[in-house]
Amino acid sequence: MIFDTIIIGGGLSGLTCGIHLQKAGKRCVIISSGQSALHFSSGSFDLLNTLPDGRSVSDPVQSLDELQVQNPSHPYIKIGKTDFIRLAEKSQQLLTDASISVGGSYQRNHYRLTPFAITKPTWLTMTDYVSSDQPDSLPWKNVCLVHFTGYLDFHPDFFQGKFQELGIKVQNVELDLTKVSIRKNTPLEVRSTNIARLFDNEEALDNFVRLLAHKVGDADAVLLPACLGLERTNIVNILSRKLGVEVKLLATFPPTVSGIRAQYLLKQRFMQLGGTYMLGDTVNKVDFENNHISKIFTVNHGNIPLRGEEYVLCSGSFFSEGLVALPNDVVDPICGLDVDYISDRKEWFASDVFDQQNYESFGIRTDETFHGIKNGQAISNLHVCGASLSAFNALKEGCGGGVSMLTALYVAEDILRQKENK
Amino acid sequence: MNEYDVIIIGGGATGAGTLRDCSMRGLRTVLIERSDIATGATGRNHGLLHSGARYAVTDQESARECISENQILRRIASHCVDETDGFFISLPDDDLSFQTKFVKSCQSAGIRADVIDPKEALVLEPSMNPAVTGAVRVPDGSIDPFRLTASNIRDAKTLGANVLTYHMVTELIRRQDAIVGVKILNVRTKETSELYAPIIVNACGIWGAHIAEMAGVKVSMFPAKGALLIYGHRVNKIVLNRCRKPSDADILVPGDTICLIGTTSTKVPFDTIDNMYVLPEEVEILRKGAQELSPILEKTRILRCYAGVRPLVASDNDPSGRSVSRGIVLFDHEKRDGLKGFITITGGKLMTYRLMAEQATDLVCTKLHIDKKCETATVKLPGSREDKETILKKLYSMPSAVQESMIYRHGEMAEKIATNNVVNNSLVCECEEVSYGEVSYAIDHMDVNNLIDLRRRTRLGMGTCQGEFCACRAIGILAKQKKIKPEKEKEELVTFLNERWKGIKPIAWGDSLRESQYASWVYESVCGLSKNNKDLTK
Repeated sequence: MIFDTIIIGGGLSGLTCGIHLQKAGKRCVIISSGQSALHFSSGSFDLLNTLPDGRSVSDPVQSLDELQVQNPSHPYIKIGKTDFIRLAEKSQQLLTDASISVGGSYQRNHYRLTPFAITKPTWLTMTDYVSSDQPDSLPWKNVCLVHFTGYLDFHPDFFQGKFQELGIKVQNVELDLTKVSIRKNTPLEVRSTNIARLFDNEEALDNFVRLLAHKVGDADAVLLPACLGLERTNIVNILSRKLGVEVKLLATFPPTVSGIRAQYLLKQRFMQLGGTYMLGDTVNKVDFENNHISKIFTVNHGNIPLRGEEYVLCSGSFFSEGLVALPNDVVDPICGLDVDYISDRKEWFASDVFDQQNYESFGIRTDETFHGIKNGQAISNLHVCGASLSAFNALKEGCGGGVSMLTALYVAEDILRQKENK
Repeated sequence: MNEYDVIIIGGGATGAGTLRDCSMRGLRTVLIERSDIATGATGRNHGLLHSGARYAVTDQESARECISENQILRRIASHCVDETDGFFISLPDDDLSFQTKFVKSCQSAGIRADVIDPKEALVLEPSMNPAVTGAVRVPDGSIDPFRLTASNIRDAKTLGANVLTYHMVTELIRRQDAIVGVKILNVRTKETSELYAPIIVNACGIWGAHIAEMAGVKVSMFPAKGALLIYGHRVNKIVLNRCRKPSDADILVPGDTICLIGTTSTKVPFDTIDNMYVLPEEVEILRKGAQELSPILEKTRILRCYAGVRPLVASDNDPSGRSVSRGIVLFDHEKRDGLKGFITITGGKLMTYRLMAEQATDLVCTKLHIDKKCETATVKLPGSREDKETILKKLYSMPSAVQESMIYRHGEMAEKIATNNVVNNSLVCECEEVSYGEVSYAIDHMDVNNLIDLRRRTRLGMGTCQGEFCACRAIGILAKQKKIKPEKEKEELVTFLNERWKGIKPIAWGDSLRESQYASWVYESVCGLSKNNKDLTK
């Protein structure tokens, strides 16, 4: 099988890269082994919340100069300020084009409410979620807070406490979903995705509206746990219309419906553009010839090689198995690229789990244009992007979503540019 | 009420067993524990139901005690025991002639020991090292120390005993030549109070040295640290031991959904016993030993590690402290030191907790002039009183996953937990199949105060995800049932995640590091939890 570009990894960065290349007329394949980190996100994408020294960031662009001083190898510094701005704009457009409606701007962080009702800065938030421009300022005086009997991945208490702290009156409504749809009870029943599937059914939705309508009272907004809209992306609008009041979603514990939906919509977009998405397949062999990749093999395709002019590695961090930690070593299990890590294992971790953990910044070493490096030599037709990269801490800096999308777009453009030059 | 017949200090298996024994003999008894039950050496060992074979060659007395208690526990605590049997295997490096001596010693201690053809042994236990040169089958098993302790406590409470967890003894009240009571501090509310009784039993394991000091008597003990690793799969169904002189990392015990290898043995200073960390070199010793017994463990994920402290007691007649006993030590301080009203029960092992309790209670009864025989060897513990079929009939309408795991963990007590509705049947912990109903019951009826206590009662968070998904679900239930104030929920989660990290950090590579990164990502990045949550709420 021959493609223009072979992308290894089907999460946020793989899909972003694939969509951009496919749009530019390239034939791409994405090889994805399954769930990605995107499944566990909760309605928001972060660009840059905190500098490495711990100072908080309100304007990510303005903070780039300081970031350069503190960590000159950060992926954003490789991208550079001009491209950072351009690619951040492009990322937002890419999401919108994939029917993922988001609000927010790279020029100024806004605020989301976490599943613990903690206020955190962020870059883009899905428009059906609760968010605000200023920390702790919400437009309502009186809200109707809905939760579902037996649904344990959402804590109304946290939100109730938060709203009361902000002087918002809270009306608690607990709804029993068995009244919406009579189904056989199993202990796994009341989970996000099951609830979402329930609401994808028109009749169940109407039952729900009937049950809820007379409990809304004089609330200016109905706030629901974000476990609806797996297939019906406009479900919040539909509900809002039917109830005659503003409806917004509150974050739940992962895995989240919004994350699964975002993954699904990006994948749809990629495939509609003509891309091939090989789900449930894993690369098990990569052949190198003189500092470039000649072909790769996957589990499902056995001895049939996949050949591409260009390859992009978007395999994620430890969690996605893009990096594998051995007792005393960290490796890239797919291409065997050089990895930046500390050789003394004692230095990998801090004793307090909430302190900075050095292992979070380990990743694949790349050159100035994100080419992977193997045994000290850059691989000419292999780029690396997203969480696999070294020299940033997505957790502490709050930059995971941004690094994934911006590096993916940067790499896609670099591939297209190389083509033109040839 | 602050007057009792007996005050027991220490909520491990020995303390809980003594509480039950005293209560069964009609004594008004209270137990004081500064933390939760089974937090010391009781909850930090192999959970091995020793046949006694391990001690047969070196210590016939311990071996005899073990096999006798082994038979008793199978009867009285069947819901805590997994009758797996055990193998003592010889590998090419081991001297096969030890086997002959071993079998002979087992027989003389009354332990059944069958020599089995290594090929047959491999068929019976395919995970064992295929290089095995000899195998002896013995009646080892595994035992859940948390369930065992909780069940003793539960029975004692039914008989009227009082249990004060999270209460610390701050002072022993002395009147002339007798200890007559204790001053205690509620570590959660900081309230203090006094309790009085004619007899105080010091059952604190290694921490007993400190309590003895408070009483003004000296019990010479040496803390010996033992580290263990938990593997995420139950690779063996039969306990695997090395057939050689007892040494480090030579017992692999299957327990619940996991298996564990132990142990190491290092003397450590007293000031470290409240904070045991597993060291990299200990991890290496344990991994090596485990892989020798079962080579597949090289590729098996290590879930976590932990270390306990054995109380080694120096013999009274040896002031140098070199002659150390691993057997049961019962001091009547009236006879030994002229101090009335105070006894110490220590040494021993989890296997002999009941015997230790019996001996301590016998002494208590003698002192109080009570003539009642011990019945703990015959009266079954709650949870072990009905067979599975009978219990199943009462729970027939529950989802089968919940049914099975509740009966497994609680025996006939499962009936009290079961209220069959959507909420109670919903699973809180998917790895260990712990339902809302079970969590809710444990919180209300089993002295649960926080997430870590809950883990000991239900196995919530002990599975592959190590509490990643269920911790935030369970915290909500704790708050709902008023065990935790809403503003303390986040702090409680921070504590739980750090406790979890302490056990994972020394073995954080491969899938365990994956899991940890994921957990950090969920709790810190997605949910916004941070260290500050702790400080802000204080």
